[in-house]
Amino acid sequence: MARNESTQQPGSSGSGGISSSAQQNGSLKPAKISIKVISATLKKPAECYVDLSTDLQTSETKKTSTKKKTDALEWGESFNLNVSESSNLTIRVMGKTRIFDDSCIGLHKLKISSLTRNEEGGLNTSEIVLQLSGKDKSAAKVGSIKVSFSGNIEKKRRSAGSATRRQAENHSVEASTSSSSNVPRRPPTAKRDTLDAVPLNTGTVAEEDLPSGWEMRFDQYGRKYYVDHTTKSTTWERPSTQPLPTGWEMRRDPRGRVYYVDHNTRTTTWQRPTVDMLEAHEQWQSGRDQAMHQWEQRFLLQQNSFTSSDDPLGPLPNGWEKRQDPQTARMYFVNHVNRTTQWEDPRTQGISDQPLPEGWEMRFTEQGVPFFIDHQTKTTTYNDPRTGKPVGPLGVAGVQSYEKNFRWKIAQFRYLCLSNSVPNHVKITVSRENLFEDSYQEIMRKNAVDLRRRLYIQFKGEEGLDYGGVAREWFFHLSHEVLNPMYCLFMYAGQNNYSLQINPASFVNPDHLKYFEYIGRFIAMALFHGKFIYSGFTMPFYKKMLNKKITLSDIEQVDTDFYKSLIFIKENNIDECDMMLYFVHYYELLGEVKTHELKEGGEDIPVNESNKNEYIDLLVEWRFNRGVEQQTRAFFTGFNSVFPLEWMQYFDERELELLLCGMQNVDVDDWQRNTVYRHYAAQSKQVSWFWTWVRSLDQEKRARLLQAHGFYWAPTFLH
Amino acid sequence: MAGSRRLQKELGDLKSCGVRAYENVECDETNLLNWSILLVPDKEPYNKGAFRVNIKFPVDYPFKPPQIIFATKIYHPNIDEEGKVCLPIIAPENWKPATRTEQVMMALMSLINEPEPSHPTRAEIAEEWVKDRKKFNKVAEEYTKKHAEKRPE
Repeated sequence: MARNESTQQPGSSGSGGISSSAQQNGSLKPAKISIKVISATLKKPAECYVDLSTDLQTSETKKTSTKKKTDALEWGESFNLNVSESSNLTIRVMGKTRIFDDSCIGLHKLKISSLTRNEEGGLNTSEIVLQLSGKDKSAAKVGSIKVSFSGNIEKKRRSAGSATRRQAENHSVEASTSSSSNVPRRPPTAKRDTLDAVPLNTGTVAEEDLPSGWEMRFDQYGRKYYVDHTTKSTTWERPSTQPLPTGWEMRRDPRGRVYYVDHNTRTTTWQRPTVDMLEAHEQWQSGRDQAMHQWEQRFLLQQNSFTSSDDPLGPLPNGWEKRQDPQTARMYFVNHVNRTTQWEDPRTQGISDQPLPEGWEMRFTEQGVPFFIDHQTKTTTYNDPRTGKPVGPLGVAGVQSYEKNFRWKIAQFRYLCLSNSVPNHVKITVSRENLFEDSYQEIMRKNAVDLRRRLYIQFKGEEGLDYGGVAREWFFHLSHEVLNPMYCLFMYAGQNNYSLQINPASFVNPDHLKYFEYIGRFIAMALFHGKFIYSGFTMPFYKKMLNKKITLSDIEQVDTDFYKSLIFIKENNIDECDMMLYFVHYYELLGEVKTHELKEGGEDIPVNESNKNEYIDLLVEWRFNRGVEQQTRAFFTGFNSVFPLEWMQYFDERELELLLCGMQNVDVDDWQRNTVYRHYAAQSKQVSWFWTWVRSLDQEKRARLLQAHGFYWAPTFLH
Repeated sequence: MAGSRRLQKELGDLKSCGVRAYENVECDETNLLNWSILLVPDKEPYNKGAFRVNIKFPVDYPFKPPQIIFATKIYHPNIDEEGKVCLPIIAPENWKPATRTEQVMMALMSLINEPEPSHPTRAEIAEEWVKDRKKFNKVAEEYTKKHAEKRPE
């Protein structure tokens, strides 16, 4: 790059190298500067315009008007751009073409830090001529452009010396991520090391310098890592000199680990905040109100279902009616005899607080029928010792032939929870501002079994009685918090899939396993107390919870490309393809290549047409667990401490999802409006049959239909 | 990663494939995931030099495709300034685990010899290739002489 020498200023006048304050927030705010494009001269006249862009994330490209080939190339147009001390500015003269995209005739890149400034950071406003180089940097100069700058940019506090020294260090490790593009990106020697591929990937935009005391090195696989000589630690992540967003500060905990404090919200995180992350956070935050509204409309079973005969508690006593609060969808009970209402079910009043007699235990048969063991006499019976009657309205005889539909399963599960509930209540007090951490403290310091007690949730400063509404709200907010990208615990399964999976990188939070245990407890509580959570997990995760085998099709949700390759292996004769596969798989953990034998001695067992199905099964199981085994185990530990996961086993994974997330009333008009058709048109008769049929279904069936075909909360496609 | 027999075999096969255009493979035996190949095209305008490409294999190869980057500058409508090349055979949506590196190299050579101006990564070169082949050949040849490596004997 031909940089005009006169525009270059050797660093700034500040002294003392990087002080710790350079990492502190607020010292380097993005600034708005004005750039005036005055005129240009080109060796070859062309119809052209000038565009300006920076490497800031939020940057937009500014364009001048287009000048004809015959015009004098004079613009005199001014533009405002957001820049910071460390950004790079690209000025391009673009040729207008008719057929293809406009092409770049010449460009000039400059570092904002190289602009001449006065003591206060004010830019020198005199006109400067910048040489343009061709798009491929080798080509001869193609002309020049005259511009001027105005505005004010705060200076970085660092000495010129340290900057050059750092640059020298970079070159010495042969990793020329050179900041000026006229340095050849290919070392002159003919023999090339494979390591050179790395800098080539980094693109033309020069990487920012490393902070002082840092060095970049390569491991034996040619991967970059960074050494912090100050703390004698290494990291895979490139340390940044980019200022932290306003109000953020970097700190170290007593064990020397770096964390970040957001003084705006008084929260902390292990991840270095970036503009992208903050945007994701804001989006997540802003979606909450709408999400809450939708969530409030969720239900599990339709109202009329409660009067049906499969309710194990039998019919309501005379004069009672069950109703649904239209606003919260919560069920309540009306006593028409004395004209009162209550939340509690009149049939279970008195029962729920009454534990089984001493020495009795309730268990379930394989068919999910409850029975009772009297340990004193070592006998079993289907009759509940408290009532003397068998559980369920149809009695034992009816159960075997009874269709085990979802409603019946829910009723059984509810009854199981009810009969294993612990008397009295458990009080959980949290503040809204610090919901995630407060809830963590409260849930984890309690004896897990106590979490089966009636919940009594209180938000600090909003003391009042919890008749269920506060608990509902708490479940919603906390389950929404779990998703908070800042915690890195879960991530969305894919771009169009809003279900959650464990984030294999969750270990950036050193205490992540404790948090997974906490979330396990929390999810168990939601199921036990019959509350919905905000967002569901992936189907394979539910299967794991139910101790079911993960199958090939489950991987599609987790890793589509991997899945496609597996399908190829399944569907093609691999003896003919000579794929050279063995019962072994390689993966990367913290930058190191690891070997995993799918079975003992697998490294020497070739995969062929006759054993490939076994190979696929083993690989699928392993791929799903990769990187998340510990987290999954911690989650299950937490869950099991509240109640055994086996209680869930008479549900399948889809039912488990419904149980946890509820169903939503499906707005068919909205659905129809937002459907994308492939291979069909909206007017096709098959399509119109489909919609007629959908409209004939009740809400529950509609929700189940959506769940069965693609994901419930996600956009739906019709093929 | 000592054990990837597939990469080991593919490396050996490529070295002994007898196709001059891409048999010149270098690889650090301790890291089979990165190869460097010296391409020796026979057709104009690239036959005045040799081009080095780096192939990077993912850890879970062959379940995911390799990546190809040109280390030598080349004047070509489908290869951008970063050396990235748009090659359908190794695009994730088309990738098949049975595809062998030799086939990938064949596809790469045919793209070099027969550019696809309908999917250019450098539109201005594609335009030139369509409208003014003579000029394109001249520039590309000069470019080759200037940037490309010496062809092996």
